[in-house]
Amino acid sequence: MPRRISITVAVLGLLAAGGAIAAPLQLPAYTRTTLDNGLVVYVMPTRRLPLVDFRLVVRTGSVSDPHGKEGLASLTADLLTQGAGTRGAQQIAGDIAFVGGTLQASAATEQVIVTCEVLKKDFAVGLELLRDVTVAPTFPAEEVARKKDEALGAIASQRDDPATVANQELGPFLLGGSPLAHPTIGWEKSVATLTREDVVAFHGRHFRPDNAMLAVVGDVEPQAVKAALEKAFAGWKANGGKPGDAYGPVPQARNRQVLIVNKPEVTQTQIRLACMGVPRNHPDYFPITVANTILGAGFTSRLVNEIRVVQGLTYSISSRFGMFRDAGTFRIGTFTKNETLRKTIDETLKVVRDLLATGPSEEELAKAKRYLTGQFPLGLQAPDALATQLLDVEFYGLDPKYVETFSDRVNAVTMVDCRRALKSYFCVDELRILVVSNPEMARKSLEGLGPIEVKDPQ
Amino acid sequence: MHPALRAACGLALTLALAAPVAHAAKAKARPAKPTDTTSPAGPALSAATFKVERHTLKNGLVVLTHEDHAVPAVTFWQWFKVGSRNEAPGITGISHYFEHMMFNGSQNVPPKEYDRILESNGGYSNAFTDRDMTAYYEDIASDRLDVVFRLDSDRMASLSLLPEQLKSEIEVVKEERRLRTDNDIAGMLDEQLYAGAFVASPYRWPVVGWMGDLERITRDECVAYFRTYYAPNNCILVLTGDFDTKAALGQIEKTFGAIPAQAPPAKPVNSEPEQRGERRAEVHYPAENVSFQVGYKAPGVASEDVAVLDVLSSILSDGESSRLHQDLVYRRQIALSASTFFRTRLDPTLFEFYVEMKPGKTAAEGLAALDAVLDTLAKQGPSARELEKAKNLLEAAFVKSLKTNNGVGEQLGFYEHVFGDFNAMFKTIDRYRAVMAEDCRRVAQKTFVPQRRTVVDLVPQAEPAAQAQP
Repeated sequence: MPRRISITVAVLGLLAAGGAIAAPLQLPAYTRTTLDNGLVVYVMPTRRLPLVDFRLVVRTGSVSDPHGKEGLASLTADLLTQGAGTRGAQQIAGDIAFVGGTLQASAATEQVIVTCEVLKKDFAVGLELLRDVTVAPTFPAEEVARKKDEALGAIASQRDDPATVANQELGPFLLGGSPLAHPTIGWEKSVATLTREDVVAFHGRHFRPDNAMLAVVGDVEPQAVKAALEKAFAGWKANGGKPGDAYGPVPQARNRQVLIVNKPEVTQTQIRLACMGVPRNHPDYFPITVANTILGAGFTSRLVNEIRVVQGLTYSISSRFGMFRDAGTFRIGTFTKNETLRKTIDETLKVVRDLLATGPSEEELAKAKRYLTGQFPLGLQAPDALATQLLDVEFYGLDPKYVETFSDRVNAVTMVDCRRALKSYFCVDELRILVVSNPEMARKSLEGLGPIEVKDPQ
Repeated sequence: MHPALRAACGLALTLALAAPVAHAAKAKARPAKPTDTTSPAGPALSAATFKVERHTLKNGLVVLTHEDHAVPAVTFWQWFKVGSRNEAPGITGISHYFEHMMFNGSQNVPPKEYDRILESNGGYSNAFTDRDMTAYYEDIASDRLDVVFRLDSDRMASLSLLPEQLKSEIEVVKEERRLRTDNDIAGMLDEQLYAGAFVASPYRWPVVGWMGDLERITRDECVAYFRTYYAPNNCILVLTGDFDTKAALGQIEKTFGAIPAQAPPAKPVNSEPEQRGERRAEVHYPAENVSFQVGYKAPGVASEDVAVLDVLSSILSDGESSRLHQDLVYRRQIALSASTFFRTRLDPTLFEFYVEMKPGKTAAEGLAALDAVLDTLAKQGPSARELEKAKNLLEAAFVKSLKTNNGVGEQLGFYEHVFGDFNAMFKTIDRYRAVMAEDCRRVAQKTFVPQRRTVVDLVPQAEPAAQAQP
């Protein structure tokens, strides 16, 4: 038997009484300026460690991939560090590594992101490399061929990972032909068509100072940084008209459908349930976030409690809103052994239905608010995290006081707000169901949930 | 390769659609590799200015504290000096199972209450298990420190191990195993690599445990395990962040001080004989691309050479300018990726390689290229600039590991447990800076010997095998 000792304090009584987290959050002082060429620049000194983080975001991404050229933004981003200014790929890699730094470029759905992290003493090297790869990539033909080949190899490898297959197939299943639907890496057949000319044209069209933003956070002197940035980016000019960034209306999937992605060897089935959600800068962002925390974020959410803790059906389950600039999705992800596939889906739908029908308890609402306000500051310790936060506010057009007012806005969410959010933005009967599994087994077990389609991973 | 973890941190759930912005994922689960702290990091990170206090309570509980008032938050780590190396055949996976059970009820905190209370106070917790350790942490606002002290002392004093929770939680653990091993190619290879490389060392079984053992672990075994390994004298507490050391120590004494010490656990037996020939294994599984792992026998923390192996690991695979990337990925264009993994462990371990080949390329081609890279390095050693680069990378990685309270606590706990003294964290710098090209040559020659390696190939198979019947 476990040892028993007496604890004199009434643990539960004391602990359960916690109120809202008191300490107000203040960001370190920072400046936002626009350079003459239109580049928006944030500078925030933080002195905890001798590090400097650069984060540059271009307002483009896989959403800008032309139809049939899916993967172009990603290939372009991959190639930025493979030759720029006077340096070739090997020299860029060697120079950043020699100072112990990192330099990375990648495409997301709506952003191309270039980051660089160096020790304070290497500020100049970091800035020069970041500038060169963003402004003056050379796209050598042999590097284009190599990176394209690697992308094709990576796409093949991804078909071996059931979770990745589930995530990538969910896009077209939910969003059809929308430019938001495809994975950033692209499809095998579209990547195969990409050329150096495509890459050069994509870079020329989207990488312009008035279409980008930069944050510099770390152990820096703001005045010196601004002077250095002015100088470094002086030659970067916008040419011609700014590219449009609208991606048109996104289909609103309103009917239950079931998609089985064929992966006969798995013993555990990946499950995704999804419907359309809301854009990032939505007036009900805070009620939605609080309501979703109650449903499926954290260890005490309804989904984790019922599906993992009580029933032992999975190791992980969560719900979340994926919020883009002009659209969004709501989805639940989990996995379970093949034998309990149907049970897991039924129980998950039941949890969602119950919460939508009856709403949360006052205690759940209070707990979710404390959890969110308690966690938020913890994510803002590192300089790169601060840089990301600054540019998220800029990119999505959020309240410039977003960080400072976060706790107040969470705490202002009432039960009425929460119920309204659940009623308006969550769904259950419209959830589309995607599984990656053995099709014979899955078809039998999913019978009656909706029209079933089976396909191979792309 | 990866330690098992209590929660996936969104691992499998980050949908393609879910990331309008590509935030860098934090590799939460692995104790940072020992790295260093000198010159550019400067005096800010020397033992003299990076103030850490070490106290030992009467019951043997070690407490490390480091104040940092930048953010009104704290991280509280608990490092238990127990991992899968302390297990035995029949109960493999029990350490990791415990990592789950520690959240499932103690005398004054009934099942589900741990997380409810913590999250009600804005806190977050997670934990990981590896071969040498099981470590738990909570991140929470400074004014809620008392909450975690009470929750964590209660479970250390009186974990309940209720039959109903044991029964349900083992199913969660089995799903974790299915996720990370049974349906994951890298996981399958890694399990076979250690099972093949070691014949007597407790490192031969997987951290998550064999499925058969997970089916049979009993409550009695759990109770005995708890009494032996979750005693205060087998634990290191690490508190970092915004708090007052004196006040916090008083609270810790009050909450943890009365938990009785136990007889020190027996040292795990490691009768691993010398390896006298290459070992090969295959995993047949449906796959698009070939991949393989190689593990060379490497020393544990007792050897001075572990610092040299870290430098070699950096030279071989840190970044695109590394030797493996330059050769296999860039020049020959036969691999999608080529990486190394080496971590300082308590016992002799493996220096691992993992190579994913491009479509149509064979494992034999990959292994031949890898052999050539290792052969050249062992014969010629690194260039001066290459060696300097590796040291700079290791140093920067160390600075970056200290970005958060959580990271600081993880480093302190790791060094205190594995190196036996958190001060090793500061001395490691000098160990790296002292590594010469000749050391690299010597250790590469000694380590990268085919007779002392194990190779596991993934053999892609067109059709899935019929499901094995039990």
